[in-house]
Amino acid sequence: MRRRSVTAVLAVTAALALTACNANATPTGSASSGTARKGGTLTILTSSSSVNLDPAKSQNLAITTLGLIFRRLTTWDIKPGQEGKVVGDLAQDAGTPSDGGKTWTYKLKPNLKYADGTPITAEDVKYGVERSFAPELSGGLGYHKTLLVGGADYKGPYQGKTLDSIEVPDAQTIVFKLSKPFGDWPWIVSMPAFTPVPKAKDDVAKYGQNPVASGPYQVESYQQGTALKLKRNTNWDAATDPVRTGGPDNITFQLGQESTVVAQRLIADSGDDRDAFGASFVPPAQLAQIQANASAKQRLVTSDPGALAYLAINTTRPGLTDVKVRQAINYAVDKKAFLVAAGGTLGGDYASTLITPGIAGRAQYDLYPTPDPSGDVAKAKTLLADAGHATGLKLSFAVENDPQSLAKAQAIQQGLARAGIEVTLKPLDSDSWFDFVTNDKGDYDLTLTSWQPDYPSANANIQPLFASSEIGGGGFNLSRYSNADVDAQIEQARAEIDATAAQKQWQQIDQRILTDAPIVPLIYTRNSFLHGSGVTDFFVAAFPAYPNYLQVSLR
Amino acid sequence: MRLLRFAAGRLAGMILVLLIVSILTYAVFYLLPADPAQLSCGKPCTPQRLADARAFMGYDAPWWRQYLDFLGGIFAGRSFGSGSAVVRCAAPCFGYSFRLDAPVSTLIASHIGVTFSLAAGAAVLWLVLGVSAGTVSAVRRGSLLDRTVMTASIAGVSAPAYLVGLLGILLFGFTLDMVPVGGYVPLAENPVQWAWHLILPWCVLAFLSAALYARLTRGQMLEILGEDYIRTARAKGLGERRVIGRHALRNVLVPVVTVFGMDLGGLLGGAVITERVFSMQGLGALLMDAVGNVDLPLLVGVTLFAAFLIVLANFAVDLLYGVLDPRISL
Repeated sequence: MRRRSVTAVLAVTAALALTACNANATPTGSASSGTARKGGTLTILTSSSSVNLDPAKSQNLAITTLGLIFRRLTTWDIKPGQEGKVVGDLAQDAGTPSDGGKTWTYKLKPNLKYADGTPITAEDVKYGVERSFAPELSGGLGYHKTLLVGGADYKGPYQGKTLDSIEVPDAQTIVFKLSKPFGDWPWIVSMPAFTPVPKAKDDVAKYGQNPVASGPYQVESYQQGTALKLKRNTNWDAATDPVRTGGPDNITFQLGQESTVVAQRLIADSGDDRDAFGASFVPPAQLAQIQANASAKQRLVTSDPGALAYLAINTTRPGLTDVKVRQAINYAVDKKAFLVAAGGTLGGDYASTLITPGIAGRAQYDLYPTPDPSGDVAKAKTLLADAGHATGLKLSFAVENDPQSLAKAQAIQQGLARAGIEVTLKPLDSDSWFDFVTNDKGDYDLTLTSWQPDYPSANANIQPLFASSEIGGGGFNLSRYSNADVDAQIEQARAEIDATAAQKQWQQIDQRILTDAPIVPLIYTRNSFLHGSGVTDFFVAAFPAYPNYLQVSLR
Repeated sequence: MRLLRFAAGRLAGMILVLLIVSILTYAVFYLLPADPAQLSCGKPCTPQRLADARAFMGYDAPWWRQYLDFLGGIFAGRSFGSGSAVVRCAAPCFGYSFRLDAPVSTLIASHIGVTFSLAAGAAVLWLVLGVSAGTVSAVRRGSLLDRTVMTASIAGVSAPAYLVGLLGILLFGFTLDMVPVGGYVPLAENPVQWAWHLILPWCVLAFLSAALYARLTRGQMLEILGEDYIRTARAKGLGERRVIGRHALRNVLVPVVTVFGMDLGGLLGGAVITERVFSMQGLGALLMDAVGNVDLPLLVGVTLFAAFLIVLANFAVDLLYGVLDPRISL
């Protein structure tokens, strides 16, 4: 929970760290494509100094690093302008539910092989999932751990025990028994833990550096802090893979790169850097520089608007328990000033819903429409007066103390002041802020954050932020919103296995929650990335707002 | 015998300092709001999973108990987990990073080459540059050369390392395309490329540090040039070069070496900012990585090692005093 949140917050902080001078710039498009060729060495420049390739310990998105080396039971079909879809990867399809959604069956595609030529079996997938339960290998995405029958008490295979709720009737079939119906299970089995791991090759301390590949690439060498080099896996069969193109022959991750220098290298676009792209967001100063450089501007790829940046209103605090006050805050906020502080159109687009663009089932609506994005102060004042706060209201605002967060918080502070709401900022460093807003006390009125779900489903958009089970104790329900009806609706929608029916329910929940105004949706954020002139098929969708490594090729 | 007694005394002092540093690092770490077990718990993190992760990494014990386990590991080694998944860290075990799946000593060993290469070249450059510039300035006091050197040294002392590094890369790397913009090639792999990749970081570090030495040398030299024994040396008819080089400089070097010892020790512990700008993965980068990821074993290990290097450098300086100035007895 914590890492996700910190990562999400960091990611969006960086994404929004754009200078105000870009306020009037327009995004340059979300894709860059041309004639791709097979072969060559693609270089990925990243600020991370280490990569842990153990699937059990990984929180990697399905379309980034680990996706190049491993296949999972299912995977994500991500393209710009299209909602994310879940498709069969090792499995023939996204899964067949039975028993009302409590049992999910997967058939593997025939003749799948590891890099060493040995066959990939359902037993290996089961072993891969089992080892993700071991405390020795904690740290990964573990939504399955609470869903599988007996998962809560299972501690992994290293003590000689297996997890009986995963059945392998034959080498090609795997069956999961869940403790309750769960409609998003096809997304869950797209996570790194559902990578096949051959038991004979497992070594807890070493597997992350030299894993057995099932995707288009295998590890050639890895040196912490310096480079991860991948080479082609000749036993990967493109015909069986719906999402990976396997264009370059080799891929080199240059680790521990300073993001400003990376941006300069990519702007200069010379030598091997022509065949490179940066895995980190382009820093604010370079974004401004790129706008003035025609060649670099052509190679800047900005995502569609995606992750939700929002102002959380602590619904348990005096004054804020009244829905009218929270609605007044929704009207009083100056989203225009916020967007400028977030970097203008390169930083995002105005938001009004909980389910974010790029997620299937999203419906556009705005419960608190204003004549223009800078808010409706008169309406806010009327609502405040109705709630008995005609003379004004004083609120505390917990915010991270980096310059970008402070600038955005000040934009909100000034917006609310127009309606007579006096906001006092409480700046905290990142770790302290996280602890402060997710602990059991919740000693704040407002806070600013953002959310990018772990998988492209409305459930992952809404449940972690608004289910009452996520209040305090490290949970990310920062509004401390607790509504028994909504909780029941969330549980019902999570159990729905018919995707269309589930999406309809999530749309209703989305609006139902915002009727109570526990947050102010501010913007759907954009991220910008830069690549060299030799790189093609490089795009960034709305979700996830990161380049799809699996399809990048060289010209 | 006297030297041995001195060395033994200093060794005991060093161990004491290192013990204090390690206790402080542990204590400070536990005052932080971040919980390393929670960071390693995965998501979603249930209370049971959190407890399991904490127990596996040994974070469930009180901090002093963990500290004693750490000390014990240095002599006896440690093992984490159980069953077929046990993770071993052989003695001397200075901690095990679960995040990077490696003993801390292995991680330090794999990063030390970068830091030593960076520090050694830069130190030679700045010492030579700084002392010669300071000496020339003192001898030609008030001249244009003196004023130029002193102005440049003010810039060097006051410029932020990050800025100088970035400007250096922009100018010599991107605009003039004279040197690589970052990265490191091990000496054993290709000595020419090793030096080629290091030349710019060396110059940047030397520019930043030489300034201090130039000012220090100049001040010290001016003072010494007014001493009686210098006048005597000149009166004896010794050449100016011999007076400065043999008689004055030797005394100037005593305070210079003191500062140099500390600087070099600090630099060997990691030139955090320079390493970052030049995308070099030395001890400084490793330390930053440990801080950013709340990796306690790595944090303690690297901090202790850096402290050890500083203590060692100071010890070496103490020994050098005797060589530079026979009046100083150990």
